[in-house]
Amino acid sequence: MKNSMKSIAIGAAVMTLGTVGAGCGNGGPSDDEGPLGGVESLIILQRPKRNDGGDIFQYTSYKPGARLVRLSPPTADGKLTTICCDQGGSEFSTIDISSYDISFDAKSIVFAGKLADNQRYGLFLLQLSDGAITPIMTDPGRDAVSPIFLPGNRVMFTSNAVVEAGAPQHVDEYERGTTIQLGTVNLDGSDLQMGPRNLSHRTFPTLASDGRVVFTQWDHLGPENSGHLMRVTPDMQDLREFFGKEGSSPSNSTLKAREISPGRFIAIATARSRTITSGTLIDIRAGIVETHGGVVSAPQNQSEANATYHILTPDVPMDGAPSADTVGRYYDAFPLNAKDKPDLLVSWANGPVESGELAAAGLSANFGVYLYDSEHQQRRPILDDPEMWDIFAQPLRTRTAPVVISSAQDPKLGGQTLIGSLNVYDSSLHTFKDGEIYGVRVMEGFSSEEGFPREFGTTLFEGHANLGVAPIAADKSWSAKVPANVPLHLQAVDVFGMSLFNEPVWFSGRAGEARMCGGCHEDRTRTTNVTPGQLDTFALGAAPLFGTVARSARLNKTPATATDIVGVGWDTQIQPMLTAKCVECHGADNKAGIAPYTITDMATGTVTSWTFNLTGDPLPAALAVAAGDGAYSSSYFSLAGPDMEAIAKAKLLIAGNFKVYMKPEDARSSPAITKLNPTRLFPSPSTDRAFATMPHLIEQGRADLTSKEFYALILSCDMGVNYFARENKPAATAP
Amino acid sequence: MKNIGIKLAAVAFLALAPSVALAGKGGSAAQIKAAVASTSTDAIIAELERTESLICDECVQIVTGLTEDSRYEVREVAAWWFARRPALKDMLAAQFSDDLATGGTLKVRNAADFLGGTKTYAALPQLRAAIHRGDLGSDAKLALVRAAGAIAHVRGNEVLSTAMADGDARVRGAAVTAWRDVLDQPSAQPIVALLADPDADVRARAATVVGGMTEQSARPALEAIVLHDPDSFARRNAAWALGQLGNAASRPALVQASADKSTLVRGAAKAALSSLR
Repeated sequence: MKNSMKSIAIGAAVMTLGTVGAGCGNGGPSDDEGPLGGVESLIILQRPKRNDGGDIFQYTSYKPGARLVRLSPPTADGKLTTICCDQGGSEFSTIDISSYDISFDAKSIVFAGKLADNQRYGLFLLQLSDGAITPIMTDPGRDAVSPIFLPGNRVMFTSNAVVEAGAPQHVDEYERGTTIQLGTVNLDGSDLQMGPRNLSHRTFPTLASDGRVVFTQWDHLGPENSGHLMRVTPDMQDLREFFGKEGSSPSNSTLKAREISPGRFIAIATARSRTITSGTLIDIRAGIVETHGGVVSAPQNQSEANATYHILTPDVPMDGAPSADTVGRYYDAFPLNAKDKPDLLVSWANGPVESGELAAAGLSANFGVYLYDSEHQQRRPILDDPEMWDIFAQPLRTRTAPVVISSAQDPKLGGQTLIGSLNVYDSSLHTFKDGEIYGVRVMEGFSSEEGFPREFGTTLFEGHANLGVAPIAADKSWSAKVPANVPLHLQAVDVFGMSLFNEPVWFSGRAGEARMCGGCHEDRTRTTNVTPGQLDTFALGAAPLFGTVARSARLNKTPATATDIVGVGWDTQIQPMLTAKCVECHGADNKAGIAPYTITDMATGTVTSWTFNLTGDPLPAALAVAAGDGAYSSSYFSLAGPDMEAIAKAKLLIAGNFKVYMKPEDARSSPAITKLNPTRLFPSPSTDRAFATMPHLIEQGRADLTSKEFYALILSCDMGVNYFARENKPAATAP
Repeated sequence: MKNIGIKLAAVAFLALAPSVALAGKGGSAAQIKAAVASTSTDAIIAELERTESLICDECVQIVTGLTEDSRYEVREVAAWWFARRPALKDMLAAQFSDDLATGGTLKVRNAADFLGGTKTYAALPQLRAAIHRGDLGSDAKLALVRAAGAIAHVRGNEVLSTAMADGDARVRGAAVTAWRDVLDQPSAQPIVALLADPDADVRARAATVVGGMTEQSARPALEAIVLHDPDSFARRNAAWALGQLGNAASRPALVQASADKSTLVRGAAKAALSSLR
């Protein structure tokens, strides 16, 4: 199928391109030249069309026959020349290429290619002068994709390789894909470094003119389930939110960002699945917008809080809905100028561009390259091979390499990461009462790769391990030394160990990295300055929270005291307490006389009843479905409730005396906790109570819970009310 | 089709309209049926993913049928779908585990893919027993290896090590690759012998595994491959592996490989040289 171009009836395209930019000031080439004026040729990736890339994190799709082509001049009647990879010989004869980047001097291209079905995606460097292809060697048993040039002869990429030797890579929140994380390597294949791990994917990195890298990070923590833009230094440190979190994005996912001008990016806004990584075009301004000579940029005070956006293709759906005819979806965009309404090179496909609908019809999306005039919302065709996805078009031209920036690594941390904040009360998301915070709880996250089934419970939370609580100092700062490279989750807690506020995302740091924030999600429009002297002080006083303990040892099956608890296994740590202190009244015979609730099938009229029961007995089969089809115990179902997602969306038709007694990430308002009324834990256990009510067990004339039992329940809530933890992982008892 | 044999609980969902917040959710039994009728693998996968959280009696019956589909991708996503429903999964897993002992090649293939796709640790004894059956075809043995790889437990090592001696190179190669990703796998020593496998793909995979697990005893064999193996992928992977081992004694071999006729090998050898101690 090589070079089998479909004839495009666009005879006027050349003239059109020359007039698109008329009257648009100095946001790009001169008015006479049009947005592609001065561009001698375009580089375009052509991949055989397919339909297995519906998910935005799909990186393994393989169909042989991809090629890199040069279109010169960059018009519909330009000459198309294949520049890769016929010259590579038989080893490259069945290659697929997933993405590429052009070097700063426009003399070479780095691309991700898969040479055969039994190979993985790897990195290659193509010299444009002679067509020579050399591998940039990465682990041949892992995939390396999405390469971009960094200053200093390095390349950043994403990979399912793991930074921690011997550790399995996280699987994504859907438990179907192995996650990809950031990595860097020298152009000659030396000094490969993998970055710290998110609990889900990191993908589509892009270099900004300030030297930092913007990429898409998928966040999944309880109800949070979205992919937005983050920013790091090229050494994969100093991770910061950039765009889209806390409801500031118009879509579930923002991806394939490219800088238009300093602080301004074009990106694709879409839904995670079935969209073939395509959607609408949005123009993101990350800082204070300024206009000089027709160039619109936003370089000052870049932050998520200051970010604004404009939708450039308003008819295109941002969710997973099939698109209308002639509306289609956009796969990627490259800015040609920085006008307020910029001209863009885009890849666009007509039709639904929705993988399920296309697949059912036996079709594939047909992406072609177009010049998009966002002011007039007009597309002008440049290249469309009907058998290929024509994507990632960009001019072959030099660009200025940003300065090499990096952040410090402190060898004194001994391979740990230092985390903390200057004033934990400083938060843009929550108002704390003065004096109510005792410390900050740090939790490690993991997914099923450590030997779990594909669900940790009914609540759809990932696995949690409590690394401990770092107390706040008199100046309201806190710091802790924690394991490097692992996903971390923070909660400000009170003296009872209950979460006061929960940071709704995972973050991570590299070995030796110091990550000190201003507060607990402080105002993102402000700059936090931490001096080296302050860092030394924080490091000296940092709470030691498993920072040097191996992953396999970050658990405690027999905690002696409350603060020794790491993970909370339901059957091993919660059930024994329930059996000893609760079941006599709250057994299957319901001596306590708690009224039941019913779950009704409106279609059939079938009614199933459930009564509070704290035994470890298996659920009746009739209720397994209501428990998210979980094979859990009666006590778990009674306290954690039915599938939380279903409840949250009010889709289950439940009537009667229904309660969720243990709320994920919210011990403080969980009925089980308020009823039992825990005793004070920090700084040392006492008989002080959390609530001004009679503790239930005391009221019933029974032995109260111990501080360890209280904290196990509290941690279970605040860590997502999971059934499984490392302490009771099924793999440990596999036959 | 399996007889699940349970009466599903009476739980009703209103129509789940796709929304921004519900990316990947929604769907219906009718849409799954339509996808199955289309015979499109991609459509089936897309619809099952969309019904990830859907509680639907009719869906269970349809997806149960898909666990025995002829396409691995469909069986895999069907298993994943049941893995989100552990109680149902356990019921099916018990039946599939029985199939490992008595079923023919297709039944064992389907059973193994279900048990692996659902990470059913309890099935490890049956998987270990099944790999020793002499009456199974390669499709079944490949699925047994896939299952052991997906479960990734050291108690599945017997499945992998047995498969490494199989007559079918595809089975040996899959077993070699799966070995590396077993949780807390203590050593790649059993893989070293596969560096001399008659099949080039198996040798290439073995080189990757011993390199990734820095199995120092593999160095002589890797040096032999990098210098003499006729397959460029095997030579490339061996060069990379020698870089991972980092032993300066490999320098002569890697220097020689830096002039290999294959650009893949040359690039890997040069990068590996920079990793030697």
